[in-house]
Amino acid sequence: MLNKYFVSRFYKGWQIFIRNPLGKTGVIILGVFMIMAVASFLVPLIDPMYDPMTGIDPDIKLSTGPSFTHWLGTDNVGRDILAQLLEGAKVAFIVGLSSAFFSIVIGTLIGMIAGYAGGLVDAFLMRIADIIMVLPSLVILLILASLFGQFNIWIIVFIIAIMRWPAVSRVIRSQTLSLKHRPFIEASRVAGASHIRIVLRHIMPNVLPLAFLYMTFRVTSAILVEAALSFLGFGDPSQVSWGMMLQWVWKSGHMFQAPYWLIPPGLCISLLTLAFYMLGRAMDEVLDPRLRKEGQAE
Amino acid sequence: MAKPGYILLKLVEVGVIFFVILTALFFLFRLSPGDPISKMVDPMLTPEDMAHLIQQMGLDRPMWEQYLIYVKNFFTGHFGVSFHYGEPVANIIVDKLKWTILLFTTSTFLAAVVGVFLGKIAAWHKGSRLDNVMSISALVCYTLFIPWFALLLLWILGFKLGLFPLGGVLSPALWISNAPLIVRILDVLHHLMLPLMTLFVINLGSYLLLMRSSMLSVLREDYILTARAKGLSEKVIRNKHAARNAALPVITSVGLSLAFSINGGALTEQIFTWPGIGRELIFAVSNNDYPLAQACFLLIALVVLCANLIVDLLYAWLDPRITY
Amino acid sequence: MSLLSVDNLTIGYQTKKGLLRAVDKISFRLEKGGSLGFVGESGCGKTTIGMALMGLLPDNAEILGGHIRFQDRDLVSLTEIEWQQVRGAKIAMIFQAAMNALNPVFPVDEQVKEAIVTHQPDISDSDLTDRMKELFDLVDIPIGRMKNYPHEYSGGMKQRAVIAMALACNPALIIADEPTTALDVIVQDQILREIKTVQQKTRTGLIFISHDIAVVASVCEQICVMYAGQIVETGTRKEVFKSPRHPYTRTLLGSYLSLDNLNDIQVPDMKETPDQLSDDGECRFSSSCAACNKKCAHSSPDWIDISPTHKAFCCNPEMIRRGHGKS
Repeated sequence: MLNKYFVSRFYKGWQIFIRNPLGKTGVIILGVFMIMAVASFLVPLIDPMYDPMTGIDPDIKLSTGPSFTHWLGTDNVGRDILAQLLEGAKVAFIVGLSSAFFSIVIGTLIGMIAGYAGGLVDAFLMRIADIIMVLPSLVILLILASLFGQFNIWIIVFIIAIMRWPAVSRVIRSQTLSLKHRPFIEASRVAGASHIRIVLRHIMPNVLPLAFLYMTFRVTSAILVEAALSFLGFGDPSQVSWGMMLQWVWKSGHMFQAPYWLIPPGLCISLLTLAFYMLGRAMDEVLDPRLRKEGQAE
Repeated sequence: MAKPGYILLKLVEVGVIFFVILTALFFLFRLSPGDPISKMVDPMLTPEDMAHLIQQMGLDRPMWEQYLIYVKNFFTGHFGVSFHYGEPVANIIVDKLKWTILLFTTSTFLAAVVGVFLGKIAAWHKGSRLDNVMSISALVCYTLFIPWFALLLLWILGFKLGLFPLGGVLSPALWISNAPLIVRILDVLHHLMLPLMTLFVINLGSYLLLMRSSMLSVLREDYILTARAKGLSEKVIRNKHAARNAALPVITSVGLSLAFSINGGALTEQIFTWPGIGRELIFAVSNNDYPLAQACFLLIALVVLCANLIVDLLYAWLDPRITY
Repeated sequence: MSLLSVDNLTIGYQTKKGLLRAVDKISFRLEKGGSLGFVGESGCGKTTIGMALMGLLPDNAEILGGHIRFQDRDLVSLTEIEWQQVRGAKIAMIFQAAMNALNPVFPVDEQVKEAIVTHQPDISDSDLTDRMKELFDLVDIPIGRMKNYPHEYSGGMKQRAVIAMALACNPALIIADEPTTALDVIVQDQILREIKTVQQKTRTGLIFISHDIAVVASVCEQICVMYAGQIVETGTRKEVFKSPRHPYTRTLLGSYLSLDNLNDIQVPDMKETPDQLSDDGECRFSSSCAACNKKCAHSSPDWIDISPTHKAFCCNPEMIRRGHGKS
């Protein structure tokens, strides 16, 4: 019975979502990138020359423009740019989604605990959240890089998640606070449910939709930070990400001569960020009825 | 209105947070792999200089003492000696700080003022074509990837059209030849243009969107209806009654987006070789110059906290409901 | 010449389901210095009338027909610029101030001054100060509190400030829309007394809108009872309050349980929401009316005179004229 309720709510939400022009555009752009990410698995199978990292076209020694064999041209070592772009899509999704996922897991847990426990625990946790929120993530990553050396992609993902949970936790906390005083929570307590049980079974399901909404915003910031880090040369050298591509075009001095190399990676980063942002805004409208335009039925 | 007690409280807060960061960094340093002495003191120095530095930074003392010396050193400006420059770090970063502040304050200020102005107009003409164009442009600006956008500007406006210099903060020729002050100032401004434009465009997007939505919710408030009932003109209602209230959340958001702005600032400095502390940090990290990196980082943290403080105080001054 | 005369005013809102007639063929008159109250539940259209009289109808509302004549001027055809000269100066409005009717970032005195200066830009500083003093005295706010911010005022004080703001330019007509609804009972009483005193002193016309018939009856000489966009009964306060004739009015009054009529007047269930979309002339109260009979289904309600000042809008003239039990 509970499932049917959720399904119908979800469906209604989807209808509102898809009617929103932002939601529509966002989904389309996202779809294109997902296809790209999937394609990245298949393309090297066509010809090893297309491998983004190691695939060098034996006939080409320097960066060339778009051609029949290389739709977007090659970089200065002879690697296919389109293949790199597809690989970058895959990396962006992995980085974005996993970092966002970790940050909402941490943020939701801390938010629920802070909201539910209240008092000193709440004050302490929120103070820490405030401090972390103020700090610029890129700068932190840089100083950590100088202390601990080059990071691999998963460490980067994890550190970004640690820098990004505060925003989620604030929202979850206020939601928890408003739920805490609802009658059904009181009833569970009276019935003898332990705190953990209340938090997990009653508060968490009500708080999760909000958490997922905020996940979309976290994805964008994770992708941006990883791209910036790679661009500066501190990313994971074994991964071809869009940021890395920009670093190569910059460091090899080709940025003024090779628009086919300079434009695509940055464009992709910006578009993917845009898509996730649009998604987030459309979801906002689903979750907050006040934002809906007039004439849309409940 | 802001009372002295409120200001004091905020100052104490800043102090405490900075201390936490300072301490955290100290422990991270100790936890990091490698020998702390070789990280902080350049092995290329003469043995006497090395010994002097080690003593000054207390690297041969137990942890507790080291920590206290570390804190004291920070406040007295002893950041060690840079590996790369071979000079005390303090001399280097003081010079860089002013460029970062110049870029940062001008871009934030301009973006906020223009963003608030345009956002107000967009909200007033909600649903019209003007509004749609502004909102979508703002959205695009907001999501542009900073290094990429900076490179594009550099390429098109700097390289192809030759309108602006490709980097740095001044043209060496002018300064060597001791040109008059006004010429030198104009030269700096000329160099400032591209990095300023980059940060301005990116930040403009978010301020515009924020002001727009803030304005839309303010326009639904009761006091706007009261103002109309008094017979005030639409212009007065929009600018005096609505905008004043709508601008408040935007100011808060300036504070919240400071972290993002600093990140963006560092990237911009890097691309335009603007000699600020952001770029210096990146440089120090790439060159394993830890004393320099540490000092840059702590200074950036301090700048961020102070900027937040200023925003908080500004908000308290503007919103009469805040009292402590 | 009446101060205000409204004839057959119809106002509609564009909704998804069609055109909703929020106000349907309303007519009433207000003389100079008189006071008229509109009573009814939420959605009956009373606030819409108030808004229409200020030219503050929302974008999706439209005056579909009828006239509003104020001081011999037609208000329906005014442009926005012309309205800006009327609002505040000739017709002023008092809102529910307990919420957010005052702008939080400006001191109260500035907001009242603004009301004056907008319409009298050439007023001298000394005249302005005198007028401010006069106004604040009139509404009983201590002069020393004039420069405070709205959040430093109590609910009652905020309401009084709003009243002062409305009176600032000596308007000929004041419209008060639920001015005491959010206040607690003692303050409510003070404010109502304030309004009454001020109105009698300044001989300003007053239109008082409320869902609370007791409040309206204590302030206004005339009462109009509204249901579903139509006036169903109108008369002097004594007539409507003491001997209500229309079934809806009786329901409203019956909702106030008192010790002596517990057994007399029944409070029926209000059934469906009235149909305000059609213009077919059917009685809108029929689904909830205790006295509804077969005859009502076949005829349209019309005005039935009970006295020169008292009339009701119903299909059943005999029932209306007969009245019920105690008066």
